[in-house]
Amino acid sequence: MSDVDEAIRQVLEEHGRLPVSVATLSDDDDLYESGLTSHASVNVMLALEDAFDIEFPDSLLRKSTFESIAAIRDALGSLGVVAAPN
Amino acid sequence: MKILVGIDVQPIDEVEASIREFGARYSHRLFTDHELESCAKNPLTAACGLAARFAAKEAVLKILDTRETVPSWKTIEVRRTEGGRPEIVLCGEASELARRQGVEQMSLSLSHGGGIATAVVVAQVAERQIGTSR
Repeated sequence: MSDVDEAIRQVLEEHGRLPVSVATLSDDDDLYESGLTSHASVNVMLALEDAFDIEFPDSLLRKSTFESIAAIRDALGSLGVVAAPN
Repeated sequence: MKILVGIDVQPIDEVEASIREFGARYSHRLFTDHELESCAKNPLTAACGLAARFAAKEAVLKILDTRETVPSWKTIEVRRTEGGRPEIVLCGEASELARRQGVEQMSLSLSHGGGIATAVVVAQVAERQIGTSR
C-alpha cells in the first residue's frame, strides 16, 4: 500500500465516522454505501487538505470526489499528490 | 405535474465539531455568505441553523437526478423571504440540473430539536421530465 493510500485510510478512520473499520474496505468500495455521510465527507476533505497541504478546488467539492478510496486517490492525483516511489 | 419530496437530517453536534476543528475553512466550503450571515445573527443557534441548511442542501440533492453530475453544495442556497419563510435558491450547475429535469418550484421547511436538524423539500416537476428523476 502506498503512503498516499495509507494517509487516505487514516483520514477516513479519524474523520469518516464510518460504522466499519476502514481496513475492511477495498479501494473501490462505495464509501457512502459503507456509511460515509455527506457531512462526514466534508470533514474528510478538510483533513486531507491538512494532511497533504493542498486545497480542493470548487470543481472537486462534490460528493462524487469522495465516493471511494480510489476516487479520493484520483482527486489527490489531479492536485499533484502522488505516491512516493518504493 | 408530479410532486417529489426530499428529506434529510443532520446531527447538530457534528456541525459544532466541524466548526471547532476546521473553523472558517469548513463554513465557507459549504455555505454561502448569505447563509453564514443569516446564522451568525444568533451565535447560540448558529450551528442549528447551519445544520438545517446543510440538511436542506442534501434534501434538494435527493430530488435532483445526480447520477451524471452532483452539484456543489454552495450552488444550493437557503434564503429567507421577507415574511420569514425559508426558500431554496439554486444557481450554477444546480439550477441547470433542475431546469433540465423539469423542476418548476420548490418549497422548503426546516426544523431542529433533540440535537437533530431536519429539512423537507417538496418540488413540482413537469411530468414529461419525471423519467429522468430519481
